Amino acid sequence: MKKREPIGYVYLAPALISMAVLSFFPIAMTVYYAFTNFNLNHMEDYKFVGFKNFVDIITGPFKEVFAPTFAWTFTFALVTVLINFAVGLLLAVLLNNKFMKETNIYRSILIIPWAIPGTIASLAWQGLLNEEYGAINMLLKTFHINPLPWMTDPFWAKISIFIVNLWLSYPFMMNASLGALQSIPPELYEVAEIDGAGWFTKLFKITIPMIVPTALPILISSFAYAFNNFNVVYLVTGGGPARLDTQFAGHTDLLVSTTYKLTMQFYRYDLASAMSIIIFFIVGTISLINMKLTRAFEGGER
Amino acid sequence: MVGREYMTRQDAIVLWISRVIIWVAIILSLLPTWFIIVASVSKGGAFFQSSFFPKEITFENYIELFRKKSSPSQTLPDFVMWVKNSLIVCFGVAFLQIFMTAPAAYAFSRINFVGRKNGLKTLLILQMFPTFMAMPAIYGLLAKFNLLDNLFALILVLAGGSAFNIWLLKGNMDQIPYEIDEAAIIDGAGHFLIFRKIILPLTAPMLAVMFIWSFNGVFNEFLLSSLVLQSPENATVPIGLRNFINNQFSANWPMFSAASILASLPIVIIYMALQKQIQSGLAAGAVKG
Repeated sequence: MKKREPIGYVYLAPALISMAVLSFFPIAMTVYYAFTNFNLNHMEDYKFVGFKNFVDIITGPFKEVFAPTFAWTFTFALVTVLINFAVGLLLAVLLNNKFMKETNIYRSILIIPWAIPGTIASLAWQGLLNEEYGAINMLLKTFHINPLPWMTDPFWAKISIFIVNLWLSYPFMMNASLGALQSIPPELYEVAEIDGAGWFTKLFKITIPMIVPTALPILISSFAYAFNNFNVVYLVTGGGPARLDTQFAGHTDLLVSTTYKLTMQFYRYDLASAMSIIIFFIVGTISLINMKLTRAFEGGER
Repeated sequence: MVGREYMTRQDAIVLWISRVIIWVAIILSLLPTWFIIVASVSKGGAFFQSSFFPKEITFENYIELFRKKSSPSQTLPDFVMWVKNSLIVCFGVAFLQIFMTAPAAYAFSRINFVGRKNGLKTLLILQMFPTFMAMPAIYGLLAKFNLLDNLFALILVLAGGSAFNIWLLKGNMDQIPYEIDEAAIIDGAGHFLIFRKIILPLTAPMLAVMFIWSFNGVFNEFLLSSLVLQSPENATVPIGLRNFINNQFSANWPMFSAASILASLPIVIIYMALQKQIQSGLAAGAVKG
């Protein structure tokens, strides 16, 4: 190409400076805090403590908080992505029917939950799932089903989180699947039909095997996103119901909301920082796998 | 799709089963919204959702949202204030982000400087550190400099340059033929003129989508906002609504419903109108040419 032009740095400056000040510096501070005892008891006189915080979290007194929270975060991310994808894919397959003339109308209606601001929708769900007054239990009553303890029972609180997340995210999965379906050559289905394949055979022998490789990067990044999903948990159940053995995390608290509580309620900056670093390593590994898969960094040069 | 255009018996059965499943999905996904609408137009303070259709429709709850509080102890929501705060933060962040992203994308697309080839990759990798990682430090620093509970501090915290946006926009700028630049250079134009008069106007649709996207993202942001903003006067819509509904659920539910509908409607409309562009923006980010 042409000669070097240092003017390029001037164009980059606003972005670079803001990233340095607002992302990298605080992250460096976080890494530093993770190795100190910066907490409510040591606001001014904190000092270096080495790996103590990490040891406390993984094998020490905070194991009680970390291990179950980690297990639930992992389960939550995995299950929620699979459910959302299954529902999204099913709807996409059903909508992708050449005989269905009104399919565009359905698509625009089904997309509505995606367009509603997620935080507001999550808050509304908190109300809908209210055990005494909420509309969902009212609805169950009209069908003569006993009201469910959506907020007070650990199992049903987890189910609530899955329901709300499905409602919020299936439109995205549906859209992504509809896009991916277009890449399957229609000839495959024609050949299958000549061989007498039915609807289910075509779904399991052609559609799913063809769509999963295309959808994999989306699934992995959704997994990473779900891992960090603070809003749904914090706004719907608030992490509750509370656990008896610890005050730091409730039954539905994810690692991120636990970090938030450690920072905001308990001023345990040291533990919160160490926790952030652990989460980063998990999510970072997932993202790396994803980049390898999508080969995001190949090409992209002019 | 090519192939047979007539329907066999089996196709007809599949079609009708599909329709029934889709109708059920539509009902299930609209039901929560319907409950909120019913609650928002129902009468009275204490609320007990007993009917599927409102017995009597009133817009009292909507009108109340715009009424001035006469005393701070009154449980009326400060809806107008929340909207004002949200608008300040959303517009502030969206403008700042465009201001930082556009020149950086231009540099990566058009200017040859040392580090250009690997710079963007490095930025993208560094971007993998999630925002919440900075949470304890941001909170600590803002507390130290007395910047907690400050809307402008929140704008700065949220507006940090986004490598992902730079990457998206650079891809968009790469598609503008370089010959246009060359013609301008022959006419004596420098980078700033090319950037302002050629590249910016041609990428305007993408910039608009990014603006809406970041607006929507900030409107939905809860974690950092609730970390920074503390007093009720500075609450944004989600924070105000959360405190309002957590205070006294049964009594506040009808007005909460009205407020959440009013707050969602503009975003829903924008989203529906720009659905195509937002999707293609997503696709441009996901698929590399």
